[in-house]
Amino acid sequence: MTDNYEFEEEEFTTQFNGRILMRILAQAKPHWPMVVGFLIAIALVSGLDSYFTYLSKRIIDEGIIPGDREVLLKIALQYGALIVVQALAVFGFIYWAGILGERVQYDVRKKQFDHLQTLSFPYFDRTPVGWIMSRLTSDTERIGWLVSWGLLDVVWGVANIITALYFMMIINWRLMLIVAATIPLLLAVAILFKKRILVEFRLVRKFNSKITGVFNENITGVRVSKALGRERENLKEFERLSFDRYASGYRAAWLSALFLPAVQLIAALAVGAVVIVGGLQAEYGAMTVGGIQAFISYITFMMWPIQDLARVYAESQHAIASAERVFSLIDAVPEIQDAPDAIEAESMRGDIEFDHVDFYYEEDKPVLQDFSLKIKQGQTIALVGPTGGGKSTIVNLLCRFYEPKRGVIRIDGRDYTAYSQHAIQSKLGIVLQTPHLFSGTIRDNIRYGKLSASDEAVEKAAKLAGAHDFISALDNGYEEEVGEGGVLLSVGQKQLVSLARAVLADPDIFIMDEATSSVDTLTESLIQQGMEQMLEGRTSFVIAHRLSTIKRADLILVIENGRITEQGSHTELIRQRGHYYNLYTRQFRYEYEQQFGLFERAAVTA
Amino acid sequence: MAPVIKKPDYNLINAVSDNRLLGLWRMMTGYRYIYLAATIGLGIAALSKTATYLLLRYFIDDILGKGYGWQTLALIGLGFVGLALFEGTFTFLSGRLAAQTAEGVALRLRNYLYDHIQRLTFTYHDRTKTGELLQRSTSDVEAVRRFYADQAIALGRIVLLFVVNFLAIWTLQRQLAVLSVAVVPVLVLVSVFFFGRVSKRYEAYQEQDAELQTTLQENLSGVRVVKAFARQDYEIGKFEQENWEKYQRGRRLILMHSLYWPSSDILAGFQMLVGFVIGAIMAINGTITVGTYLAYAGMVIWIIWPMRNLGRIIVQMSAGLVSYDRVCEIITEEEEPLTEGSIKPAGHVRGEIVFDNVSFAYNGGETVLNDISFRCNPGERVALLGSTGSGKTSLVNLLPRFYEYTGGSITLDGKELKDYQRRYLRSQIGIVEQEPFLFSRSIRENITYGVLRDVSDEEVYAAARAAAIHDVILSFPDGYNTQVGERGVTLSGGQKQRVAIARTLLRDPRILILDDATSSVDTETEGAIRQALTHLMQGRSTFIIAHRIQTVMYAELILVMDHGRIIQSGTHDELMAQPGAYRRIYEMQARVEDELQSELQATAD
Repeated sequence: MTDNYEFEEEEFTTQFNGRILMRILAQAKPHWPMVVGFLIAIALVSGLDSYFTYLSKRIIDEGIIPGDREVLLKIALQYGALIVVQALAVFGFIYWAGILGERVQYDVRKKQFDHLQTLSFPYFDRTPVGWIMSRLTSDTERIGWLVSWGLLDVVWGVANIITALYFMMIINWRLMLIVAATIPLLLAVAILFKKRILVEFRLVRKFNSKITGVFNENITGVRVSKALGRERENLKEFERLSFDRYASGYRAAWLSALFLPAVQLIAALAVGAVVIVGGLQAEYGAMTVGGIQAFISYITFMMWPIQDLARVYAESQHAIASAERVFSLIDAVPEIQDAPDAIEAESMRGDIEFDHVDFYYEEDKPVLQDFSLKIKQGQTIALVGPTGGGKSTIVNLLCRFYEPKRGVIRIDGRDYTAYSQHAIQSKLGIVLQTPHLFSGTIRDNIRYGKLSASDEAVEKAAKLAGAHDFISALDNGYEEEVGEGGVLLSVGQKQLVSLARAVLADPDIFIMDEATSSVDTLTESLIQQGMEQMLEGRTSFVIAHRLSTIKRADLILVIENGRITEQGSHTELIRQRGHYYNLYTRQFRYEYEQQFGLFERAAVTA
Repeated sequence: MAPVIKKPDYNLINAVSDNRLLGLWRMMTGYRYIYLAATIGLGIAALSKTATYLLLRYFIDDILGKGYGWQTLALIGLGFVGLALFEGTFTFLSGRLAAQTAEGVALRLRNYLYDHIQRLTFTYHDRTKTGELLQRSTSDVEAVRRFYADQAIALGRIVLLFVVNFLAIWTLQRQLAVLSVAVVPVLVLVSVFFFGRVSKRYEAYQEQDAELQTTLQENLSGVRVVKAFARQDYEIGKFEQENWEKYQRGRRLILMHSLYWPSSDILAGFQMLVGFVIGAIMAINGTITVGTYLAYAGMVIWIIWPMRNLGRIIVQMSAGLVSYDRVCEIITEEEEPLTEGSIKPAGHVRGEIVFDNVSFAYNGGETVLNDISFRCNPGERVALLGSTGSGKTSLVNLLPRFYEYTGGSITLDGKELKDYQRRYLRSQIGIVEQEPFLFSRSIRENITYGVLRDVSDEEVYAAARAAAIHDVILSFPDGYNTQVGERGVTLSGGQKQRVAIARTLLRDPRILILDDATSSVDTETEGAIRQALTHLMQGRSTFIIAHRIQTVMYAELILVMDHGRIIQSGTHDELMAQPGAYRRIYEMQARVEDELQSELQATAD
């Protein structure tokens, strides 16, 4: 799943970043009892692992060699009791570390999501959805891993090595020094390997997502490929990519396969040394059989903590890079913020004024320049003009999704930045051309406009918006699931549902951006009446192609290149014979043809 | 560097079997010896490990404290290093060979599926969801790969370690051997049971993860709606619910693990301890030597501890088997025979097409075309006029043999269409759709996509100029190298269409299908497209699907279609001269102008 969202990530920090590491660890702070719990548990498990080997040594040296059954039994009892203790500790560390990991993920995801809700449009404009998704999924998982399992592995590994060295020292400190000398070498080799292996596996993942992409296109574009007879060439191209994936997967696999043998071999050198030195010492009683056995065990199992430490070291670099990106999201400052003394007005009724407004999305590409406009409370304004002319921008500014770069927008005579964003936006009703629905039932989606609305109110809004008929015809009526993003409905149906949603919100300012462009003509005429009622007494902005919608407006603005080029009522503008006139005649022909369903009518009656 | 893969010529259709293990065995064709060698490598590695303990036994019993000098000790030490080297080498070789097999099988499978999918019939693609097909050709292939790469090998390793070490202990002391494995069946049962449960909880956890991602995705893509209704708090509540549920399911999963591992630790730990004690008593009694005891203590670990993972591997392998089934379902689908058919002329067709009483039904369903008869001479234009669902697209889809007509006869240059090879036929036909599909590669590559030879820049430019798109392309910062699609520019519908026209021009087909290519394009580019299309149609037999009279009136033959039948046919003049649908449509369009004039008049007055 997350692979689909893999974007080209900025190179991760290769330097060990202490500040970020501290901030990562701080995520676990609220749950410190769990941290303490698993740290104690894992240290216990680790120490016991070493101690068991020491007990095995005592079984040999104090039980078997002298032939003392009583001591043997005593040691065995101790051994057995400690197995139970260790099992309890194992339960403790899995439970605490596991839950801590999940909990920190939960916390970090929540922090990010809550913060995202405060961020403004410019942030979402420059940040792809996939990028944000990766932050809240794979990156968050890595942070959770680092503070739980990562930390745990480090403590386990370090404690294991230290306790093993301690018991080796008790048995024979000279030999212990020989073993200790190999540890840095082991660690260095292990880290080198693990880093390399990780790089290879990242490469494999990259090829995998590429392959998914190519397969996707192969399937969605299959009709075109067939029509063009491209099969052989397509396969040839794919085979190249597929081979790259093969080669990288193979390389990653054999590097991994080389890792353990390499570490084991170094350890075997230490075993060899122990055999020689220990064997010589045994001649004059400085080394016991059990001692030699214990040393061999310690060395043989030393590779596990080494391997874990190396792995954590390599992976923590990725986790730190992940954390850097996550924190950058949490630290992002919203461009639009409420003033400290922002007004929570009850109503947004009143005249609206754009006063010499300048606006651009990108610095050198002005969209609105010196734009002024006055609207009386209750008027309906139609915005027409070519795509990219600035119609949607006017609406975006009005909604305070963006704020003017220069100039002022006033609602009811007051600079609208004096209001809180919530005050303005909770009084808006917006219907967009590409309507967005949420998973859930149709009823849920309409109720989104007013969460406290009764079922009757929801249905009344649906009737007003002309959505009731199609909803009633569905198997489950209002309880029909719309699917992810509303995929189970047609665009026209989605538009009607989102219209009903806005109707239910009972807003002071009503905004329709090509709101019914995909609704068929018959339904469109059904909506008309409801809309008349809806627009009555509310200030409304309508961006539309449809003539019926435009003609009804109190004021029509033709917007081109960020300026109002023509304005007036329908009759006035037709008389001018300008842009509006051209637009109108073209649209008239188009709609007429559509409306009369020429073929349906003409052909069927034949 | 990866070895150059010899591609054993193996048709994967033969690897389909109801017996899934047999199927997976067949899928390894060409790699079986390599995989066998990997298994043998594992066995040798296990033997070396056991030999290490036997060397230890010899060292303790016969060398240690017997007055041997450092030379002997050095030999023993070297023995340990040598055995480790031996074991390491074979572990590595085994891993490498297993990887070669797994990656090789996956490579072959991926390539096969890729090719197979693009050769499946239109009917198949009509009824199959993209996501479903995509998942099978990626995640399921990956699961099959892991079956060979990790799971089968891990299973083999556990079994071999068990067998080798058990036999070694058996030869040293039989009673000890039997005693040491007493708990193994219990351990295996507990492990299989437990991992069955864990995998269910893991699935539940993953499902919740998907839910969470959907909620997040919808919140992000619907950010306008969220803000427009000031629903931030509501959204936070919704996400909180999903997020909390994921945490809860994670807890339940962790709880399973935290119960299993300590219990299996206790089982395995006490088994070992009992073995140690009994072995020690035997050593005290003199039944076995101290060296034997040591060797035993070392080997018994490899019998017991790996068993704890058996359940996990078995559960994962069963998931791999399910993936194998899912992949096989695609493999068994029939391909479209592209090169079947006796007719494959060396040159171009002339483009004389005759439909004689043709009928057609999708997959044995209701007929969507009936009694279709007409004639198109080389270079002529045939226009199809009719409402949505009247059968226009079904009709033109018969020409490239996307679907097979079920009755009557279609001839091309006097020969039955069904006798032409599909590949040849399609090379003679060009299709331009209203919203053509472009591939996410550069514009240049999209234009040359349909020609299977190297094309010079001049040729590409000429085609683009003729399609009235050259200047638009040059206006992009990267020109012809501009990437199309998600990571590149988004072309407007009209621009896409003109790229498709350039693509078709370059292919130079004798027969052309314009599927709704002339309607409802953004008005600014309408003229440019009309000009490009006129250029394209010259000298080619052309089928035009259209809605407007203006687009079809110059065609040599106009077919008015309704409910899968031709209800009128003739030239514009002929059709205008007779009463019927065509004239009514024409009159209605004319009436629009009248209406408009009177409307404007009324407004102006």
